[in-house]
Amino acid sequence: MSKVIEVNNLVKQYKGAKEPSVKGISFSVNSGEFFAFLGPNGAGKTTTISILTTMLSKTSGEVRIAGFDVEKDARQVREKIGIIFQQPSLDPNLSAEENIRFHACLYGMCAYYPTFRLMPAAYRKKVAELAEIVGLQDVLSKPVKKLSGGMQRKLEIIRSLIHTPDVLFLDEPTQGLDAVSRRSLWEYIDETRKHYGTTIFLTTHYIDEAEHVDNVCIINNGEIAVCAPPEEMKRAVSFDPAPKICLPSLEDAYVEFLNGDTVAWGF
Amino acid sequence: MGVLIMERKNSRVFRELNTILTVTARDVTLLFKSPGSLITSLAMPLMMMGMIGGNLMQNMTGGLNFDFGSFMLVGMLVAMLFMTVSMNMTSLVEDRETDFNQEMLVSPVSRYSIVVGKILGASFGALVGMVGTLIVGLMMGITLSAGKLLLILALSPLFCLSGGAMAMIIIGVIKSRRTANMAVMLFAMPQMFLSGAIIPINHSDGVLMVLSRFMPMTYCLDLARAVVNTGSPEYDSIVMFNPMINLAAIAILTIVCLIAGTYFFARSEKNR
Repeated sequence: MSKVIEVNNLVKQYKGAKEPSVKGISFSVNSGEFFAFLGPNGAGKTTTISILTTMLSKTSGEVRIAGFDVEKDARQVREKIGIIFQQPSLDPNLSAEENIRFHACLYGMCAYYPTFRLMPAAYRKKVAELAEIVGLQDVLSKPVKKLSGGMQRKLEIIRSLIHTPDVLFLDEPTQGLDAVSRRSLWEYIDETRKHYGTTIFLTTHYIDEAEHVDNVCIINNGEIAVCAPPEEMKRAVSFDPAPKICLPSLEDAYVEFLNGDTVAWGF
Repeated sequence: MGVLIMERKNSRVFRELNTILTVTARDVTLLFKSPGSLITSLAMPLMMMGMIGGNLMQNMTGGLNFDFGSFMLVGMLVAMLFMTVSMNMTSLVEDRETDFNQEMLVSPVSRYSIVVGKILGASFGALVGMVGTLIVGLMMGITLSAGKLLLILALSPLFCLSGGAMAMIIIGVIKSRRTANMAVMLFAMPQMFLSGAIIPINHSDGVLMVLSRFMPMTYCLDLARAVVNTGSPEYDSIVMFNPMINLAAIAILTIVCLIAGTYFFARSEKNR
């Protein structure tokens, strides 16, 4: 299987910072893989995702997305990716649909027309389909500033999926969403992934969302602590000197791993 | 659950033109959604043209050998375009504050298309200000023929692009909207006087003359007055440079400012 994300010795040190936020990390993600990038607050997740999505320059190292270098071929990389940012990046004064239209036009999905009704039928159908999935069909014409935080998040999800990207970066995508919306969102993302082989790069603090991913990488203090499939991570945890045990969930494994001192890892 | 895929348009030219149109349309939409901005665009000429210009016309233009009213109206039309475009461009800093810039900058389009789209969107508000200037002029008994007005309108995209490009230099390096508003105002107001919008600068020398030569508005104003006064006996008293020199100066200053401003803007987002 081809590698769609390749990160080699990536270092990022912010201007004026005493030490790097990301300290020479390396990992790769296969095409079509569902990949979770986990870690505590300030571990370097968002910095890494910002570099991978061409939003932040790296200090050193090599990053390639779909074979393209994120700095030399930034435009080609942007063609291939979609992203839901950690912080909302909507225009609060435009309507929900106008925000989607803006995005679709910038990604070359269709020509711009001044009203929703004048937009091409394929666009209107796609917006309606996505809005129904996340339950926003009744608020598309409302200004974003009048939507709740959860609704704004759903809108960002629609926006990130409208151009059907090859690699979808989700930086804590379900933050602020209710359980029903979370479930319907994951169903849709799963379906998109299965249908079109979309690679998903997820960061989240809801570890249960990463339970069924293909691979997990844990970053801590700017360094990759471990990369493995969730089942392997759960099995690999053992309490010394007791024999290996299998923890019930990825969250247990994650917490045990970050706590560190009582757990031995057998990777 | 179905997953519909839309085909992307692959033409690079289409993509960039569509981006310019989309970014422009967003600013126009926002202007119509904010009646306060529209009212400000209309009210600003009342202060600039009506109060400052009116007082100058009544008290300080006795010895001039040309029609000061017409001189000032053309100057104010161009100055309003420049100032309003510059001030409207600060919405880019607001986009930075609301993180909407991320949405624009992560998209696979040229940064120049985004900036040109912003300038054209900002220009729409400036054209509203232009209408306000004409209304105030009319109230003061100063009019322009339809032909002359059309000539200025034909040149207005060039003036707006020039003003917007100049503002980008400031906006590219400032991260707070409050600071950006003040900086643009501090930069736009002196231009109005140094470039000769309401006060002739034919006899300026020393530092003031040097400063005026570095300001694109100087050449925009002179070009506008050149096309409006072509063939009139007042031409030599009003116009300073050959129109081709004006055009060349505007083109060079605009391109330099646009490239530098866009570079600063994109860099400030990425190089942290």
